[in-house]
Amino acid sequence: MQTGTNAASRWFSYIGLGVGVLLLLCSIQMFINIQQLLKEGSIRKNGFDYISITKSVTNETMGQPEKNLFSQAELDELKAQPFIEDVSPLLPNDFRVKLSAGSVLAFSTDMFLETLDNDFIDTLPPSFTWQEGQYNIPIILSSDFFEIYNVFAPGQGLPQISRETAMGIPVQIICEGNGLTETFTGKIVAFSDRVNSVLVPKNFLLWSNKTFGKGAEVQASRVFVKTKDANNTELLKFVDRKNYKLNKDKTLLGRNKMVIQGIFSGLGIFGLLVVLLALMLFSFYLQLVIARSKDSLQLLLTLGYSPAWLSRNVARIFVPIYIAVVLAALIITQLMQWSFHHFVMYDRPELTSIVSWVVGAVALALILLSVVTNYRLVKSLLYGLYEK
Amino acid sequence: MQLTLSNLLPVYFEKNRTQTSEVWGKEIVWQKEELIKIVAPSGSGKSSLINFLYGMRKDFDGVIRYNQQDIRSMNPEQLAPLRKDHVSIVFQDLRLFPHQTVAENLEIKRQLNPFHSPEKVREMTERLGIGNKMDSLARTCSYGEQQRVAIIRALLQPFDFLLLDEPFSHLDDRNSQNAMQLILEESKVRKACVILADLERIEFFPYTRLFHL
Repeated sequence: MQTGTNAASRWFSYIGLGVGVLLLLCSIQMFINIQQLLKEGSIRKNGFDYISITKSVTNETMGQPEKNLFSQAELDELKAQPFIEDVSPLLPNDFRVKLSAGSVLAFSTDMFLETLDNDFIDTLPPSFTWQEGQYNIPIILSSDFFEIYNVFAPGQGLPQISRETAMGIPVQIICEGNGLTETFTGKIVAFSDRVNSVLVPKNFLLWSNKTFGKGAEVQASRVFVKTKDANNTELLKFVDRKNYKLNKDKTLLGRNKMVIQGIFSGLGIFGLLVVLLALMLFSFYLQLVIARSKDSLQLLLTLGYSPAWLSRNVARIFVPIYIAVVLAALIITQLMQWSFHHFVMYDRPELTSIVSWVVGAVALALILLSVVTNYRLVKSLLYGLYEK
Repeated sequence: MQLTLSNLLPVYFEKNRTQTSEVWGKEIVWQKEELIKIVAPSGSGKSSLINFLYGMRKDFDGVIRYNQQDIRSMNPEQLAPLRKDHVSIVFQDLRLFPHQTVAENLEIKRQLNPFHSPEKVREMTERLGIGNKMDSLARTCSYGEQQRVAIIRALLQPFDFLLLDEPFSHLDDRNSQNAMQLILEESKVRKACVILADLERIEFFPYTRLFHL
């Protein structure tokens, strides 16, 4: 019945609408991807940033432990800062420690052990406890260290191991000092992305320092601070003033993430504008179709066709088209997401191949929007025609 | 159903018109099965009257009622069933779909409220001599052929009132009489009232009442 319309211009509008929808859906999906990717890497826990601070080792301060270690006074000063919520020094061992993989792997090395307040550890399992007399020591290993092992292992004729395997291998921790030697069994219970260290429970370290070490209070060369915002300028200024060094990676990550998020927000807004534009174009097109068919529609009304019926039937032609366009865009978005996940991101577990439910919901909303717009437009036009 | 005209007058006519007219400004009731002839010279407001009665225009004073319902109070949704089921019309300017074929033009009307089968439709076109034009686009037909299409179209629905505005203006005597026959038959079946408005000429319309507009 809708004769007299130009097929080419019709298809143009459909495609315009489709592209707009596609752009919107893709940018939403990408935004979600970014969020999920950066979530694991970011060290935000409970909305705080955890950063490690060290003293800059310069030529002058080299070899002078007091200059490179944090005194209690300095720790207190840090804690007193308004932008710092809490402070935890990374306490080291004070005696000789050797790590050996025993009979499982021909791997043996001098080691260091450190400890940190539980609150500051990002991957803290419930098994990270120790009691005096216990020969079993849970270890939290830095992910970076683990990866370094896997890097040099082949060259040493050692096998590369997976995280699961590493957590299954018992290691021997040999502590020497004060004329005593004791062997403990250690097991990796977790990997930390935040703390570049080999962590043991605090009470173990303090006990072993007393038992094997000089017994004096140990000082830390690294301190973790808990802050609301790693990019806080006050924090950065304080750190510069005291000649401390920040673990800058986190902030860089944060900044990158913000930039990428910003880009995709921009794209998303752009997509939204394009969708709005496409919707406007489509409604103009619809008005044009109706205007061109105005005489026919008017005659139909004159012959006794009801406006409501006509409105319904015009909708019946167009609604499937809207649904088809949005579904097509959704399918393309899904395809793009799958290929992005598969080819660009190598099936990383943080992402899914399926588009997020948010994207699906937006698609549904778009369909509803176009149906409602179409209905209201047609109704007003038909009734507008009618009033002579 | 009955059609009541009360004090009807186009807004652009002078009040003194009502003195010379047998329709304007009068109380008139038309019932089913009547055959009404309205003699309407040019300028008497013939097409206006037809338009008022069909609900196309509202620029009049007075009241037009179908049964008890005032046509002025009907919204588009209510007018549609009136035209679909009760009032049919042949416009003076025909108003076919120019880009559709004759067959399509007729089917558009027929399917809205099928009173006749498609076969009967074909039979009617044969009867009026346009059977061979079924697949021609309406605008390629002669005016006389188009007029016959418009007449048949009006007869494809149920109606209580049939409004005819100069329906035979481009038909010769023979075709006019054929068409008139058909109209009278279809109206009889429905026990409908036929209202024929024309200039002086139509002799073969057996009117029951005559009005000078």
